[in-house]
Amino acid sequence: MITDESGPRDSTVPRARPVKPSPSWPAALLRGGSLGARRARTGMILVSPAFALVAVFVLFPLGFAVYISLTDWPLIGPYHFTGGRNYTELIHDPVFIHSVVFTLLYTAIVTGPILVLGYAMAAFVRANRPGSVVFRTAFFLPFIVGLATESFMLLLELQPDSGVVDAVLGKLGLASVSTAWTVHYDLALGVICVFVVWFASGLTMMILMGGMQGIPGDLYEAANVDGATWWQKERRITIPMLRRNIALSLIISVIGSFLAFNQFYILTQGGPGTSTEPIVMWIYQEAFIAYHLGYATAGAIALVVVVAIISAAQFFLLRDDDTPRPRRRG
Amino acid sequence: MKRRTFALFSATALVAAAAAGCSSSSSTPAASSATGPGSASFGVNATGTVQFWARTVSKTLAQKLVSEFNASHSNLKVKLTLTSINDDTTSLATSIRAGDPPDVDGLNDIDMPTFTRNGSFLDLTKAIAKLPYASALSPGHVGLGTYQGKEYGVPYWADLSVLWYNKNLFKQAGLNPDDPPTTYAQILSDAQKINKLGHGINGFTFAGDCQGCLGFTVQPGIWAAHSYLTTGAIGSQTATITGNTALMQALTLYQEMWSQHLVPDNVRTDDGPTWGQDFVAGKIGIMPGGYGQVENLATSAQLGSEFADAPLPGATGDYSTFDGGDDFAIPAAAKNPSGAWEFITWVMQEQQQEQYPGLGATPIRTDLLTPAFSAAHPLDAVPLKALGHGYAPVTLIYNQAFNEASGPWFQMFTTAVYDGNMNLALQQGQSGFTQLLQQAAA
Repeated sequence: MITDESGPRDSTVPRARPVKPSPSWPAALLRGGSLGARRARTGMILVSPAFALVAVFVLFPLGFAVYISLTDWPLIGPYHFTGGRNYTELIHDPVFIHSVVFTLLYTAIVTGPILVLGYAMAAFVRANRPGSVVFRTAFFLPFIVGLATESFMLLLELQPDSGVVDAVLGKLGLASVSTAWTVHYDLALGVICVFVVWFASGLTMMILMGGMQGIPGDLYEAANVDGATWWQKERRITIPMLRRNIALSLIISVIGSFLAFNQFYILTQGGPGTSTEPIVMWIYQEAFIAYHLGYATAGAIALVVVVAIISAAQFFLLRDDDTPRPRRRG
Repeated sequence: MKRRTFALFSATALVAAAAAGCSSSSSTPAASSATGPGSASFGVNATGTVQFWARTVSKTLAQKLVSEFNASHSNLKVKLTLTSINDDTTSLATSIRAGDPPDVDGLNDIDMPTFTRNGSFLDLTKAIAKLPYASALSPGHVGLGTYQGKEYGVPYWADLSVLWYNKNLFKQAGLNPDDPPTTYAQILSDAQKINKLGHGINGFTFAGDCQGCLGFTVQPGIWAAHSYLTTGAIGSQTATITGNTALMQALTLYQEMWSQHLVPDNVRTDDGPTWGQDFVAGKIGIMPGGYGQVENLATSAQLGSEFADAPLPGATGDYSTFDGGDDFAIPAAAKNPSGAWEFITWVMQEQQQEQYPGLGATPIRTDLLTPAFSAAHPLDAVPLKALGHGYAPVTLIYNQAFNEASGPWFQMFTTAVYDGNMNLALQQGQSGFTQLLQQAAA
């Protein structure tokens, strides 16, 4: 850190002055006080536009949402402050609890396969071999096209008697040609999980591939000299070096699963009954079908808290061990 | 410093939020009595601009009406804004909260009770009473716009359910193509005969995973027997599911269609977008559906010659229809209510209403069913005739109960029709409807 003491110590040479701010800076703000205080002020000035944006577009709406969640806010008409009643009702609402459990189940099912498939695809396309670009594009394409579009396409292909899914599986003898995928809980959940793994693993591939390409080749050369197998190199070099990338892809994937909506809304509408209704869809139903906006917002706030906790936990569990931590004094 | 700044911003945000919330709960001013709906000048020679919001489902109709109105009125112009087909209530509520609503809104009639019960719309009772054709307006649309004896809306256009049938298949099955079924028993026996034709032909079809479509087409048969699933005034409604004979008969008809394979297997997953395509492809004998639905899908050569419609019958005769479509309503805070009413009354005139059949809509006045109309528009004369027998449930829970996969209507339908368990279905329906009604009344 540069301090006033960093200048030349020879008293015959004039001490170096701190770097002059450009004339456009509000000089009054930077004048006076120690350099540290001036630097802190400069920092505040520099971040204040960003902070103002965050305040207006994040903090204010969040604060407003918290307020709405403490009322019986309807679609239209007067509302009343109800304190924590929405939250009390929330934890006793079997439909909400089911949507939470279902979202956890869905997240638990898809997260592992997305990571494993994404890793496998990244390992397959990371080298600059002929054809790599084609495979990278093909693997990443589902993510680019978008979940909503693909959900609609899948909906048509899942139609009994006319969709390609039943036609192919029927020919292979794996399913009846009139299997109604979207109206049975097990089938719907299964098909959506497979679909989402196909959709989302492309993004994981990109994140991991970027990390893989940043690993110095020397490490692999050294491992080759030592006679390491492919698996040993992956396990001892690639995976440890990809810790941060894996953490990032897991966090993106888990948050994405917690916020799942499109695929369920389009393919099952939460049915049969509310069996495939994830949390965001519960929020949507309560807000825009039942018009219980206060109650729905309480659910949304709960979701924000849960996602924040899970992200924090993941950051903690997957933190970089290279950072020295203070030892506990005994 | 950092924490202090954050706390300051947060506190400011919350105070602002509370202030914004409080201000939005204040009531909006109604039009003054001198120029309001009771005055002689209301809706006469108005000037300025009328902001008209219509759902995209009525896009063609709205665009044509607005364009003709603007061409024939020099001092009053209507500006059309199209809103989402299903989220129009959110847009309207937001605009009302913001104090800047449209002057006239074409609202899905089923959503009217959400707005009428809290004074969001202008009370049009006096203005409606002056209309010479007031008693001929669609009863279902008017019913949905009425709250505690005051009328807040008039019909904009009617989207009615009818019984479509394929005349060619009727002939091939040895049935009289000019004698469509008028009871459940006839529907079933006609469907069985047509189904026997084979070659991918089915007797009947329905959108079996589209809750709204089923509410639109199954309920009229129940209403034809003067039976209803919810009864009573808003706030004290009760569910009448268990022991409802007309409901049981309707569910039994669909259960038999399903269990006897008189419908294609894929009706089970038809959630709406492809509804009716099998009928228009000539593969279905009978399909309860909307007038505009087939009018839009079929070619003009097919309409009348190959496809014909009949009223949706009840189990033992009589008929009804779902009074769907939109109501006109003028928000209480509208800036040009007089201009809005002038536009609305112009739309309700005979000359404009007679254009409806060609645009996939049904007129909203029963007095327009003249021999000349029937001769010019035989297919639209059927729903127009049913309009006087039509109904639409006036309830705050319609969307939750009928239009959702998780709603009690569809749960009941699924259990009765696909699982074949009528007793359980009725129990589920009774408890599901009761729970929603209790929540809405709380």
